[in-house]
Amino acid sequence: MDIRILDSWLREYLDTKADSREFAKFLSLSGPTVDRTHTYNTTDKLYEIEVTSNRVDAMSVYGIAREAAAILPQYGFESTLKALEVYGGKLPQKGLPLTLVGDENLVYRLMGVVVEDIQNWETPKWMIDRLESAGMRSLNAIVDITNYVMHETGHPCHVFDYDKLPNQKLVVRESKKGEKVTSFDNKTYTLSGGDIVFDDGDGTIIDLPGIIGTKNSVVTKDTKRVLFFFDTNSAKHIRKTSMELAIRTNAAVLNEKGVDPELAEVGLLRGLLLFTDVCKATIASPIYDSYLKKPVSQSISVDKEFISRILDIDINDKEIEKILTSLGFDIKTSATSFEIDVPTFRSNDVINKESIVEEIARIYGYHNLPSKIMDTAIPSHSAINIFDKEMSIKQQLTKVGFSEVYTFSLVSKEMAGDNALKLTNPLGSDTEYLRTSLMPALVQAAKDNAHTDRLSFYELSKVFIPQKNKLPEEVQMLGIVFKGYTFIDAKQKIESFLRLLNISYSVKQVENEDYVSGGFITFIKNKEIIMTLGLLPSGYIYAESEATVLLNLMQEYPQFTPMGEYPAQIEDMTVVIKNQDVIDVYETIRSADKLITHVEVVDVYENSYTFRIHYQSPDKTLTDKEVEKIRTKIEKKLKS
Amino acid sequence: MIWESSEISSLDYVIMHIVMKEELTNVRSEFIALSIDAATKEDLDNLRVTYLGRNGRLTQLIKKLADLPKEEKAALGKLINQTKSSLEETLEESYKRVESEKTLDIDPTMPTNPLPVGHTHLITQAIEDIATIFYRLGFERSRYPEVDWDWYAFEALNFPKNHPARDNWETYWIDAPASKKFGKMLLTPHTSNGQVREMERLHSQPPIRMINIAKCYRRQSDVSHTPMFHQFEGLVVDEGISIAHLKGTLEYFAKNYFGENREIRLRPHDFEFTEPSFEVDIRCDICEGKGCKLCKEGWLELAGAGMVHPNVLKAGGIDPEKYTGFAFGTGVERVLMMRSGLKIDDLRTLYSTDYRYIRQF
Repeated sequence: MDIRILDSWLREYLDTKADSREFAKFLSLSGPTVDRTHTYNTTDKLYEIEVTSNRVDAMSVYGIAREAAAILPQYGFESTLKALEVYGGKLPQKGLPLTLVGDENLVYRLMGVVVEDIQNWETPKWMIDRLESAGMRSLNAIVDITNYVMHETGHPCHVFDYDKLPNQKLVVRESKKGEKVTSFDNKTYTLSGGDIVFDDGDGTIIDLPGIIGTKNSVVTKDTKRVLFFFDTNSAKHIRKTSMELAIRTNAAVLNEKGVDPELAEVGLLRGLLLFTDVCKATIASPIYDSYLKKPVSQSISVDKEFISRILDIDINDKEIEKILTSLGFDIKTSATSFEIDVPTFRSNDVINKESIVEEIARIYGYHNLPSKIMDTAIPSHSAINIFDKEMSIKQQLTKVGFSEVYTFSLVSKEMAGDNALKLTNPLGSDTEYLRTSLMPALVQAAKDNAHTDRLSFYELSKVFIPQKNKLPEEVQMLGIVFKGYTFIDAKQKIESFLRLLNISYSVKQVENEDYVSGGFITFIKNKEIIMTLGLLPSGYIYAESEATVLLNLMQEYPQFTPMGEYPAQIEDMTVVIKNQDVIDVYETIRSADKLITHVEVVDVYENSYTFRIHYQSPDKTLTDKEVEKIRTKIEKKLKS
Repeated sequence: MIWESSEISSLDYVIMHIVMKEELTNVRSEFIALSIDAATKEDLDNLRVTYLGRNGRLTQLIKKLADLPKEEKAALGKLINQTKSSLEETLEESYKRVESEKTLDIDPTMPTNPLPVGHTHLITQAIEDIATIFYRLGFERSRYPEVDWDWYAFEALNFPKNHPARDNWETYWIDAPASKKFGKMLLTPHTSNGQVREMERLHSQPPIRMINIAKCYRRQSDVSHTPMFHQFEGLVVDEGISIAHLKGTLEYFAKNYFGENREIRLRPHDFEFTEPSFEVDIRCDICEGKGCKLCKEGWLELAGAGMVHPNVLKAGGIDPEKYTGFAFGTGVERVLMMRSGLKIDDLRTLYSTDYRYIRQF
């Protein structure tokens, strides 16, 4: 949570020689982070401070002062924390009645006092200024005092119109499902049940404690008597209600983190001073205090050895004692360990020996700890690094001229198809499903590049195939889209890529209903399809492969082939091909004799295909006669 | 016997004439062939000496001419002269050719179009850079699910159910039946699901030095957030692992990735799965630590980190009394943008599929 603290307000409780810059720097190093410092009202400073959600004790002016008083001395600035100025006058023993009926599972402490005879409703300027610096708007003195006390002490509080409590009674109970409440700002909420509510004793809800006040008990200009009230609630319950109803008041944001019930008393007395001073009100009742569940003061034992193991440094006992004492901990030191009592305001987050180490380390200063690389054993579990191989695949793809894109894993229903995982909370319908194929997004990417005539994109990424009662199968796929390519140009790229991976294969044309008729081929190795390539009805060409197949087949190096000492005899042969795939003719020629070292198609005219054939022997230069023999062999095979 | 006579008969002269004529033709063809092959001035100089020099082939033939009768001499002499001037002409042309081959006859400043080469994506490049640095420290990479159970993303990482800390992760949930054992199905909002999964992969047997670089998903989209992004996460577990090791490792990364002079610092923070927890900052390079618009009082947030919470070790079957560990995590996009001076204002541009962007990197 980000809070805003005014320097002049802070210094009412913090006596220090550190200036605003030093305060900001050193608080950040050892406590909550000061994100920014602004000049406020020309001479004052306003700090924007990020307090992590475990440190609700520091989400107030006083809480920050307490942190600073512990931290700044470590950086050479003597600092003292001053006590809150509270009501010290007489308190009536008798007066207006109030009955509090609690439930210790819901509320830990209820405290209230009635004030009457309010003579001033107008908030003084200094208070308006401070509230505004903290980002709160002024309403009237009564309500403003509750906000002021909350920001100063860190415990939310509330005011009721005492005369709107028909039985002078507050009964704590859980809400029933479907009960309705109307907030002071006239919004009606339906409760889902199990929310903490205050009942007036007749079944009517008169407050959503810790979250928001209700209209039926709100303080208005006509209010004569005010019940000033503190309730320390079960954080879990507050969170549930606040999230369900989406009411994120300052009070709810603090209460859901578990404020210290001990603070209620200080806060109440602080507020009482302001009611009597600012509003000139009269106290009309005793202080009612129903303390149902006191926080357990935890005691934690920490071995000295453990501290030095985690910090990699020995800090002497005196230093540790000083640090922990300054933070409000009680400490007993023995030969090998410390017995530490945690103050109530830290009981939520200091719960184990690790958190004690954190307290010592942060105040001691992380910059004072050593820095080194592990000298322990290096693990060596992975025999093959798939990431290296994937990078190698990407490098080969780049060599052939493909460009890599990253498309989103989240797609529309149309792109995902029928059997896909759906999100319960998508940002929009175009990102509602998890993709089952890379193809739609890659084709879309090609389409979106209207300004580029020719491109080839690839992506190596996961697709998600749903499985019943299990996590989906996450399949790493390689998808390639071509725009502005002829089929043969695309095939040439794919073949060049497979060659760079040193994978040999055969090619087979098959029918696939997703592609145009006759426009789909598979690359096969050991009877397994390793890659597909096809012309889509949309005119784009798409190739696809399951990455693991390529990873398993790829070879870092091919087997070395001698270059051949003797020159090849090269000749062209034109073949008329009917009712047969060119690849079959090609394979027939290629495999006709072992002295045929290379075959390529150099010309196509209608059904006539001209093949350029290399005849080469490792042992000698072939004579015309020998070549003729092989040629006859080819012709014979082609005819059969 | 005429044939035995020392006198040369007229028939002999005829034969000599024919032979010389043939030789002249040969000399000429040879010379032309050799002049074509000649690549340098030196080659041509040699050629001139060999054929036209004092003892050159052609000069030798001229010398032989002296033996012939007058009428034969005249006819052959004419032929020899023709040959000689033909050779000289060829030689001259060849000298010119060789000379011109040394100079370029186009404007070498002519602008060219770039070749249509392939491009590896910026994110891939960044991932490779990051991984390489950690490999040097003996870290291992593995792959874990992107769709995972609440257990691995939260519960096992010490996040209580319905806890405010869960708000920091704008989690996408999957519309699928929850597992009795592992809770709801989700899209991983961070790479931390790899922590307990790595412990399980290694059968709870340290040493662990994991670097998990993977896609993550959060329900947010603006100039500094994309719903899909990448994180990298380190996890080290062994006996005697301390905060010093965390500092050393992150310093090593920062200096190797950002530059030798980049300083880092730890600040207290709070994460459920670490205790103590830190935020790691790196000195802002734009204002050099003085404080500017882009940084916080001279520092930029680099990563979240901490000592592995004992409950997380327990969830992974590791005894927290015997072993300790540290973990850290941050965004690939974040470090990429911080390092490179790419000047991409909108993080979403990183994931553009516009070729005009792709081809720049």
